Amino acid sequence: MAVMRINVGPVHPSTHGVLRLVVDVDGDEVKHVETHIGFLHRGVEKLCETRMYMQNPSYFEKLDYMSPMSWDELYVAAVEQAMGATVKPDAQVARTILLEFQRIANHLLWIGTLANDIGQMFTVFMWCFRDRSYVLKLLEDVAGSRMFYVNMRVGGLHSQLPGDFIDRSYTLCDIIEKNVAEYEKVLDRNEIFLERLRDVGVLSREDAINYGVSGPVLRASGVNEDVRKSKPYYIYDKVLFDVPVKNEGDAYARYRVRYEEIFQSIRIIRQALEMLPKNGGDVLGAQVKMISTPAKPDIVVARRELPKGEGLIYMVPDKQKPYRVSLRAPGFVNLAVLPKLCEGGKFADIFAVFGSLDIIFAETDR
Amino acid sequence: MKRSGFDYLNKITAVDYVQYLEVVYILYNTDTKAQEIVKVKLPAERPEIDSVMDLYKAADWYERELQEMFGIEVKGREAKRLLLEEWDGVDPPMRKSFAWGGDYRKV
Repeated sequence: MAVMRINVGPVHPSTHGVLRLVVDVDGDEVKHVETHIGFLHRGVEKLCETRMYMQNPSYFEKLDYMSPMSWDELYVAAVEQAMGATVKPDAQVARTILLEFQRIANHLLWIGTLANDIGQMFTVFMWCFRDRSYVLKLLEDVAGSRMFYVNMRVGGLHSQLPGDFIDRSYTLCDIIEKNVAEYEKVLDRNEIFLERLRDVGVLSREDAINYGVSGPVLRASGVNEDVRKSKPYYIYDKVLFDVPVKNEGDAYARYRVRYEEIFQSIRIIRQALEMLPKNGGDVLGAQVKMISTPAKPDIVVARRELPKGEGLIYMVPDKQKPYRVSLRAPGFVNLAVLPKLCEGGKFADIFAVFGSLDIIFAETDR
Repeated sequence: MKRSGFDYLNKITAVDYVQYLEVVYILYNTDTKAQEIVKVKLPAERPEIDSVMDLYKAADWYERELQEMFGIEVKGREAKRLLLEEWDGVDPPMRKSFAWGGDYRKV
């Protein structure tokens, strides 16, 4: 049969974002995939060069609107390194808790949309949204807004934690732990879910490293690599947690890694809450307008384990504005491996594979 | 570098220092967890650099981004279309010489 070329998009092929694929198919078998990105390109790196340091965090939040606080924190951490500022001890604990809650919110949304994409319609999706909304409510009460927090300041947070923060966090951990355990009954015993994910989009260990994928995608291919373990920041070296690693490298393994990460995040949060003083401690950060020249290093490299993978900022600081900010967006790298995963598979599997990578286009295109 | 265990290419980026360009390779060793930064200085006029695609497949999109955003010609790889935008004969946008009117204080 002759090879046929199909254009997919530019629409949402799965969820959140705009992607165009040009797919060559022979019958139902995918021969070649070409990705076209850039529909959401806003020139964030260039914009950052024209704004003062603390005018930029809101741009970073829009890079990944499923976990805005993670990018916010990564950028502020880079600014802190440029200034030589230290983060208050209580604020380190508080940031860890908030980041892990953000990770849970991100993974919940991802599980819901993945289940939606591959035919487990709406039940799990609504459950995930329900549980995510509990998390967002807590983050809203901490930061003041539901999605884009802009909550990080140099050395701490923009305001003290609310008085009932610790009690509510404990309750929330219990609720999430109980609810998320239920997903397993619906998903992992669901024949359709398993058939669509197992042995689909297999990425070998060697390829995963060579293609430079990161985060859950890398760990699902058998590489034990997590910035929280390999270069611990904040209190990650003081809390006990495991890094879920799977060897199969297929879409199902990527789902399992993220699913188990939710429970590890809850474990981290519970330990971190015990380190926090009863009144929430002093977490207030400073309002910084510019960086004085003597403290200026030549370059700053900040690395963080974002929910979607490894985030990195390479910054050349200058006095008032950053001279250059370069971002390593996990989605940018993880998406580059999509053609490799899809070729040789079925056309319908493209969307299962794409969904399993957890791509968000705002950070891919920047 | 790759032979000494740096098997993971984290990032390729570039910085425009006006007099010269600097291409930055951030490499990582997944066994020893060591990170290494390699910088290459290039002239501002007609910058060219060799591709590292044969060593790291991760370089593909980064090198296309260098071509597009900094106008750096990457040699020794198959030519592909620009990555993000189909620019129409404009200057490389991430160069400092790029003329743009986006500064709100001047509008």
